[in-house]
Order: sequence, then structure tokens, then C-alpha cells
Amino acid sequence: MTQLPTNRMEAWRWTDLAALEAARATVRGGVPAIEGLWIEGDGPRLVFRDGEFQLDLSTPGEVSIEPIAPVTAHPLGSATAGTGWRLTLDAERAVTGIQIVHVATGNENHLPGLIELGRDAVASVVETFVGNGWTNRLTTIRLAEGARLMRSVRLLQASGFVSLREEAEIGQAASLASVFLGAGGASSRVDGELVVAGDGGFAEMGGALLTRGEQRQECAVTVRHAALDGASRQIWRAVAADRSAVSLAARVDVARGAQKTDGEQSLRGLLLHRTATVNLKPELEIFADDVKCAHGATVGELDRQALFYLQSRGLPEGPAKAMLTRAFVADAIDRIGEDAVREAFAADAEAWLSEAL
Amino acid sequence: MTDTAVAPKNAEALAAANKKYEWGFATEVEQEFAPKGLNEDTVRYISAKKGEPEWMLDWRLKAFRLWQTMEAPDWAKLNVPPIDYQDAYYYAEPKQKKTIASLDELDPEIRRTYEKLGIPIAEQEVLAGVEGARKVAVDAVFDSVSVATTFRKELEAAGVIFRSISEAIREYPDLVRRWLGKVVPQRDNYFATLNSAVFSDGTFVYVPEGVRCPMELSTYFRINAENTGQFERTLIVADKGAYVSYLEGCTAPMRDENQLHAAVVELVALDDAEIKYSTVQNWYPGDENGVGGIYNFVTKRALCQGRNSKVSWTQVETGSAITWKYPSCVLNGENSVGEFYSVAVTNGRQQADTGTKMIHNGKGSRSTIVSKGISAGRSDNTYRGLVRVAPGAEGVRNFTQCDSLLLGDQCGAHTVPYIEVRNPSAQIEHEATTSKISEDQMFYAMQRGLDQEAAVALIVNGFAREVLQQLPMEFAVEAQKLLGISLEGSVG
Repeated sequence: MTQLPTNRMEAWRWTDLAALEAARATVRGGVPAIEGLWIEGDGPRLVFRDGEFQLDLSTPGEVSIEPIAPVTAHPLGSATAGTGWRLTLDAERAVTGIQIVHVATGNENHLPGLIELGRDAVASVVETFVGNGWTNRLTTIRLAEGARLMRSVRLLQASGFVSLREEAEIGQAASLASVFLGAGGASSRVDGELVVAGDGGFAEMGGALLTRGEQRQECAVTVRHAALDGASRQIWRAVAADRSAVSLAARVDVARGAQKTDGEQSLRGLLLHRTATVNLKPELEIFADDVKCAHGATVGELDRQALFYLQSRGLPEGPAKAMLTRAFVADAIDRIGEDAVREAFAADAEAWLSEAL
Repeated sequence: MTDTAVAPKNAEALAAANKKYEWGFATEVEQEFAPKGLNEDTVRYISAKKGEPEWMLDWRLKAFRLWQTMEAPDWAKLNVPPIDYQDAYYYAEPKQKKTIASLDELDPEIRRTYEKLGIPIAEQEVLAGVEGARKVAVDAVFDSVSVATTFRKELEAAGVIFRSISEAIREYPDLVRRWLGKVVPQRDNYFATLNSAVFSDGTFVYVPEGVRCPMELSTYFRINAENTGQFERTLIVADKGAYVSYLEGCTAPMRDENQLHAAVVELVALDDAEIKYSTVQNWYPGDENGVGGIYNFVTKRALCQGRNSKVSWTQVETGSAITWKYPSCVLNGENSVGEFYSVAVTNGRQQADTGTKMIHNGKGSRSTIVSKGISAGRSDNTYRGLVRVAPGAEGVRNFTQCDSLLLGDQCGAHTVPYIEVRNPSAQIEHEATTSKISEDQMFYAMQRGLDQEAAVALIVNGFAREVLQQLPMEFAVEAQKLLGISLEGSVG
């Protein structure tokens, strides 16, 4: 593959590249169980083991397996070229409840994905990552006029490194809403470039990254507004315990002429221990004058007043803290529209929190 | 506002935009130059010219050797044309060099330059000996050498040392040696290292323990000789319990060739000391096509070393073709305070990448960042900031607000804040907004009888009010005018 980036590069300064190298050097081993990972529903189900499609475990439905040649300049994304999965829907078709489980057993695996939705088509895709080693993905998304895609991604790998690259082009009045939850033991980088190319398009990318031990997770997302009346939301929450670190870098670009853009960023970090780190970089790059772009960023510990309030109502300190932390994470996860998916994600976050707190 | 109302205003605005740089002039005074180019001999020449001791020359040479191994930074959102460091003079001084008691004895040519610089009336009154006028000490840096320092006696009575840095190196070598390069080390960054090697002159201030400096100290920088890079070095040390307010302001003559200005400012605040550093910068920004104009690549940093020490940076940046400037505070002292108030205006084809760093190492240290960026014309204005909280720094607080105002649809406003927190007790808040002047605001102001430019100036001054309030009186008035002048012709 092409040269790996280094921490000396501005866009990669917070990335845990050492963990990536270490994950890559592992050898393939046992296969983790996946039965418990399915969310209720009768949509298509796909399983990939180390990037290889597992036909016997899958009911792919509308999703096809075929060679994909992604067009990307991304150093990790470009390494995924090869056979991958593809979801192409014609105008006004709707396929919801697609679930994809990626199982890694060690070493490295790469896989491209492609989602193309025709005019007014609707789809929802849930992806879950489990196992060990370096898992590298590129997902290319193209939404035609009025298309809607809901994407939910869980990073539950026990160890290793997960790098995700999302490249989306959002057409007129189309909508992409994606939520990421990092609640495993692996380090990660969620890297995205969403282009709102048609007037009135909507892009959302957000989520919660929870880290502990020596783990480091990060997001590096750019939403680019290239058309009129676009809107975007980037709502990220970071919870860092022990000696771990979460880095949230989110950027809104407003191109010359992309008037009436409404961009919103909210990056918030919560430090559970004094050895943990949260890095934030809410970035704006604006070339149009009639836009509304605001960002808020905060880092700290739990609000003492809220904690005191709960304790004064009879809640012991531990549960009070847990409740506030849960609410903090819920800001991001509650953006998921489908009840079953939201509940599953909340349960994963809950499991993480009950172990960490 | 309707379209019909806008059309004639546009013509008016256009006429205003075509106005030439009001402060563009050059004074012809004989100058002595170091040979063009930069090598060890240039460094030796400068050092010898200033009669510096051996340790200073070694210090410069060490920096120069380091500089040769470094590369110019390219991470800023700036488009910097390649600079030929060999095609510049690194030292120029007015030939008539004698110590004088007052500005009256100055070369009349230089006096006229000061007048055009618009030294505030209050100050001119003081210079003319008017009774009861507020006192401001002026250390006039005419090109590279301090030509006159007034009020030295009154300052000396208070124990304040206010010298050009070359004088200070000769007269107070121990004091200078102790602090020079302690805040901005020689190897800090490309431009600071270059400055360390070839700095021409600058200011040294030492305020002794418990002294409140009896007047505001001010310096007027002026880049005057064609093709002369100016490398100012400022070092201000406030000892325990001391207080000093320092003002820096400048304009520059019109030139066709780009001029590099790479200054270094170092501030040190010991226990309970406070330094207030205010800047109004109005260097030549280049013509309407962006030709000429100053490159302002400045390293400014404060060390809040002592308990309860405080440093406050206030800047109004309206000039320069390219600005690369991040006045920072290293908050080592317990309960130390860092403040940064900035208004940066870009118009025409100006580029500004400016902001601050607040490095919290001390327990209970606090910082406030208020940055107002105003972009007009075809310019780009970037706020770049860092707030870092070290693991041992308990109870740190930071509040950051960066607002951008866009005038017109051909300019850009960017915000690049970095927040790195390694202590859970920190409370870090960051807010940013981007807006434009609304038609309602304009309509209201104009309906009250203001013309378009006055209305814009009024609204912009309101937008920047929180920062302008931080400036000392003399500067606040000047700065308000400057904002209006800088934005002339930018709204139509």
C-alpha cells in the first residue's frame, strides 16, 4: 500500500499510528462470536471475515459483492481497492435495516463499500466491527436528489485499530445522517469528507467515542458546503478514562457562493481521570458572507452542580455520576432515528460505562 | 436596503476604495547599510556595529547556524510568495547618530515623519512641554536604531529601565543575558531564529520589584529604508509585584517590494506582576492588487512565571499584506492569568493568520481569549488558537470567543482552534460565530442620517467593542479610526 501517514502531518497529529502498526503486526487467530450482534429486523444481513464476504452467514438482499475501484486521494482509503460491497437503489426504492458485521481476526484487512441512492430512494445501514487487528474501510456514498441515508456504525473491536474513511456526495435536498459509536477496546480513526453538492442538502456526522486504558480514538471530519441552503450537524461526544485520549477534529467548509448555509458543530469532552486527554479542534473555513456557522466546544469533568443536585435527591455519588455521563453520551446517540438501532447502541454505551465507572 | 439605494453607494464606495494609502510616504534620510545578503559576516557586522560583547555575538551566531538548518513553516492558511533572504539588507541606521535630550533636536525630516505618523496630540503636547498633559514615554525606533528616548529621567527615578535593547546589552548585560531567549528560545521557529541572528534593535524594559511604572511606555516602529527587513527584539521583565503597560503602534511607507518584518517580543512576569501589552498595527497592506505590503511574521510570547502574575495582550491588526502572529502566554505560575483581545481586519488582498496560545501549566491558571476577525474585499482572515492544559494543572479555566464578520462574498473567514486538555478539573469553553452586517442594521443606522461608511464603521466598532475597550485611551481613539479607514469601500 501507499506510504502510511505520520504524526508530523497536521491532519494526523493526534492519530494513534503506533497502535495501527502494532495491530497490523498481529497474526490471525480465533473468530469472535457474532450472534449477539444482530439487531432485530428482517433486512439484509452481511458478514465479512477479515474483509472476505461470508456467503453462508449472510442474506445480502439488495447488496451485491463486486470489485470496486474507489476514487480517493486518502492515504488509507486508497488501500481498500478490490472486491467490496455495493448498494445501488433506483429512484424511490426503499431498503432499510441493512446490517453488516465486520469480523477481524488479526493482521490487516481492507474493504471498500459503495452506496448509491437514486432520486428519493431511502436506505438505512448499520455496521458493526468486532475482533482484533487493523481493519481499514472506505465507504463511498452518492445520494441523488431527495435521497435519504441513515448510517449507524459501532466500533466494538476488542483490540487493534479501526480506520474508517467516509466520502459522501449529497445531492439536492438529499440527506445523510450518520452516527458512530466507539465503545470497544481498539484505537480508531473515523475520517470523513461529506460534500453537500446540491442545494438544500443535509449532512450529519457525529457520535460518541469512549476510551479507556491506553486506547486512543479520534474523528477527523470535514463537511463541505458547495451549494445554497445547505445544513450540517456535527455532534460529537468524547469520554476518556485512565490514560486514554479522544481527539475530535471537525471542520465546516463553506465554499464561495454557498449562501444561506447553516452549519453547527458541538464538540464536548468529558475526562473521567486526571491522566486522560481530550483534544478538540472545531474548525471553520468560510468563503461566503450570508451563512450561519456556529460551534461550541467544551472539555471538563461532570458539572458539580448537577452532581450535587442529584445527590441532594438521594442518589449516591456513583449512580449520579453514571446518570450524568449517560446523558452526556446520549446527546450523540439519540440522533439515531430507528428505535431498535438506537436502543442497541445505547446498550453498548451502557455496557462500556458500567465497566468504566 | 433596496437595490436602487445601493447603486450610487457602490460608486461612492468604489471611489473610497481607490483612495491611495493615506500614510504611504518615505522619508529620505541618509542611511548606512550592511552589505546586501545574509551570512555569518552579516551577523558579525551587525554585532560589531552595535559594539556588542562576545557572548551576544556567539548567541547570534548560534541562532544563525540553527536557522540555516530550518525550514519556513507552511501550516498557516497563508499564501506566502517565496522570500529571497539574500536579496535584502539586514542592517540600516540613520547616519546622524547622536544622543539628544528631546525630540526638538531631532532631524526635522524625522520630525515630519513623526507628524505624519500621527503621534497622538496628548503626546505632542507633552513633547512641547504643555503642563498637565498625560505622560507617555516614547522610545522612537526610527528604522533600526533608537534615535531618542524621552522621559528617561522620570522613569529612572522610579527605577524603571527603559532602553533600546542595544543600549541595554551594553549597560545591563547581566539582566539582558538572564532573560533574553528564555521565553522565545533561539530555536523556537524559523522567523524567531532569524530574528535572534540578525535583530537590529528593539526595546528593553525592566520594572523592579513592587514598582508601578509611572507612565505608559510606547514605541513607534517604522520601516523606512527600501528593502530593509526589520527585526525588532523586545524584552520586558516585570519583577515581583510590578506593573507596566506597553503600547506599540506603527504605520509604514508605500513600497513596491515586499518587506519582511520578523519581530520577537518576550515578556516575563514574576510573582504578582502584571504586563499589559497593546498593539495597533497599520503597516502598508499592499495596493489593490496585493502588490507590495509588509510581511509581518512575529513571535510574541509571555511567560507568566510567578504566582498571580498576569499578562494581557491586546491587538488591533489592520495592516500588513500577510500577518503570521500568535501572541501567547505560558502560564506557569499558580493562579496566573493570560488574556488575549484581538481585532484583526483584512481588506483588499490581505491575509492574516493570527490568534493565541494559552499553555496552562500552573494550578488555578485562567485565560480569556476574545478574537474578532473582520474580512472584507478579497482577503482571508484566520483565527488559529491553542488552549493546552497540562496534567498537573488543577482548576484551570479558559473562555474563548472568536467571532468573524464577513463584508462581501469574496472574502474568507476561518477558525482553527486547538483544545488539548489533560486534566479533568479544567473548564474549557469555546464559542465561535460567523456573521455579516445585516441589512436591518445598515438600514437603521442610515435612516438615522449616517452615510454608508459611517454606518459600517459604527457597526464594526460595536462588533469589536469588547477588544477596543481593553486598549489604553490614546490607542482606543486611534484604533477606532483605523477600523473605519481600513474598511473604506468594502461594503456596497
